[in-house]
Amino acid sequence: MESSTIPYLRAQGVTKDFGSVRVLDDVSMDINSGDVVSIIGPSGAGKSTFLRCINLLETPTEGVLEIGDFRITIGPGHKHATKKELSTLRRNVGMVFQSFNLFPHLSVLENICLAQRRVLGRDKDAARVRAFELLDRVGLSDKADAFPGRCSGGQQQRVAIARSLSLDPQVMLFDEPTSALDPEVGAEILAVMRELADDGMTMIIVTHEMAFAQEVGDRIYVMVDGRIVESGAPAQVMTNPTHERTKKFLGAVLGR
Amino acid sequence: MFLYILQGLVWTVIITVGGFTFGAVVGVGVAAARVATSRIVRIIARVWVDVIRGVPPLVWLFVVFFGLAEVGLRLTAFQAAILTFSLIASAYLGEIYRGGLAALGKGQVEAAHSLGLGRFDILARIVSPQVLRTVSPSMVTYGIGLMKDSALASTIGVVEMTFRANQVTQNTGQGLTAFAIVGAIYLAMSIPLGVWARRVDNRMREKYVVA
Amino acid sequence: MMTPATWFGYVFELLPGLVTALQLTGISLLLGYPLALIFAVLLDGKNRVVRWVVLALVELGRGIPLLVLLYIFYQGLPQVSIIPSAFTAAIWAFTWSTAGYGTEIIRSSLKSVPQGQLEAAKAVGLRESDRFRFVVLPQAARIAIPPLMGLAIIMFQLSSLAYVITLSEVMQSAYFLGTKTFNYLPVFLAAAAVYAAVTIPASALVTSIERRLGRHV
Repeated sequence: MESSTIPYLRAQGVTKDFGSVRVLDDVSMDINSGDVVSIIGPSGAGKSTFLRCINLLETPTEGVLEIGDFRITIGPGHKHATKKELSTLRRNVGMVFQSFNLFPHLSVLENICLAQRRVLGRDKDAARVRAFELLDRVGLSDKADAFPGRCSGGQQQRVAIARSLSLDPQVMLFDEPTSALDPEVGAEILAVMRELADDGMTMIIVTHEMAFAQEVGDRIYVMVDGRIVESGAPAQVMTNPTHERTKKFLGAVLGR
Repeated sequence: MFLYILQGLVWTVIITVGGFTFGAVVGVGVAAARVATSRIVRIIARVWVDVIRGVPPLVWLFVVFFGLAEVGLRLTAFQAAILTFSLIASAYLGEIYRGGLAALGKGQVEAAHSLGLGRFDILARIVSPQVLRTVSPSMVTYGIGLMKDSALASTIGVVEMTFRANQVTQNTGQGLTAFAIVGAIYLAMSIPLGVWARRVDNRMREKYVVA
Repeated sequence: MMTPATWFGYVFELLPGLVTALQLTGISLLLGYPLALIFAVLLDGKNRVVRWVVLALVELGRGIPLLVLLYIFYQGLPQVSIIPSAFTAAIWAFTWSTAGYGTEIIRSSLKSVPQGQLEAAKAVGLRESDRFRFVVLPQAARIAIPPLMGLAIIMFQLSSLAYVITLSEVMQSAYFLGTKTFNYLPVFLAAAAVYAAVTIPASALVTSIERRLGRHV
């Protein structure tokens, strides 16, 4: 977990309003290459919204985003991101959803190959080779020709992870990846994520899995009501929170 | 010309409203027959509905108007139109009710039974309100369709808008104007009704998104 | 007296009309469905003028009874010196109506594709045309097929309307047969049987397809 001097991903002053409701309030975060960062907090705190702002699935009302060479300033008076910029951004930022969102009409293999071919322009064979590599990595080589409808939740999520990895992204975003799964199955997914982290992937994870956040990760951010109220090393935040709100949240969640 | 054609609107409305109302009432019976305990009743109802819906309304109009006249039952064009549309509407609305009933599920009725409510109360206070709320958008949509179908009555001589437009065309040769007027009047009715249908639909969806 | 043989004789005489009806329906659907898809896509487009024009076309096709549309093309156009044949006028009217109702069905099916699918497609970097082609359209098609088939059956039934513009389909033949034999009731019941023989199995087919499509997704 080496850190370079210049953060790979930088969010500054990200604010998001939905009508009159301020969902994100001046959120800033610096992430170095190889960092694994967890975002925790009560529901409705804006964690998912912030994550989705990073790959511009949601457009912030204001803010600055820097990811590698990509830089965009959002706000009144600034131009919207062009389609090409969005495409480049999303090539480098992978996302895994809570509800998997696999394409049900395509087989597992086709799910993983589609973006490679259409976005990266890889030819059919190169895409298949990479797809099989990734399926192997997540332990699902035998499911290549199956359809998502025939796969269990845990299998679907693993395919989703493989699909995002197929574009060789620099950063992976995880939006509550295990919330829709049984605890046992969730553990499998967390294991895959742990491996990814060990291999040096830069990861931002929104999660309710406190144990995971504590063990795997360089930093934890606590978000409440659209703001980051606390951040720091996992051990410190979890056992010795400084902010009132953090104490309250952890108290409820961890039963202390 | 406009006024002459517009006068036909009265007939359009009467046939639509009449057909819909009778159909809505008889439709309850149709729906009940479709879910009856007796298998024979269920089968007869199924055949009745499928046949009525499987044959074009125009054919039924002719069967009722020309066909029945042959076996002694001479109806005026107006009576034939109302009768035909009532029967057709009862089949369609009956199916709509049945769908709403199925969507309600057994749970509601079971809960009502376990509370000791009587059959009539269950039907009137528990089942009907909920089913009606679910199916009212479909009923409004069907009503709009029925209004458009009422134009068919012109073929058996009911002096509604389309009939008058035909007359005007034969007398003056200005078919485009005449039928454009008819079209415009139908639009003037169906578009607001369509907007209302969508509002009913939205309100219904709202009420059900509770928690 | 009326014997079954006579009655079946009536049915037989109506069959050529059935062919015409099927032709009319088939061609109108072949033209109307693609038109509906184009309209549905254009309605979500950026150009305001295009949207309004398409909306007008769709609302006219849906809001005006098919019978009136038929009259407009057959009896109305001659006022401006366009005199189409019965079949041509019928095709125009039916195509317009099909496109009108079809557009609603397709729009609704496009909207029914779960939001998460679009997000996943975006998140993985697919551009808009690819998102539509590979993710949204295939799934929307599955949702749209049963109602579109239902529309086809309804259009087939409505082919009976072409009788009023003297197209020799089933009803026209039935009417002539009726005036010839004065046995109106059996003749029209024969016509009813001809229609039912097509629509009832077709509807059953649609229901079974609906069930099979529902299982996949």
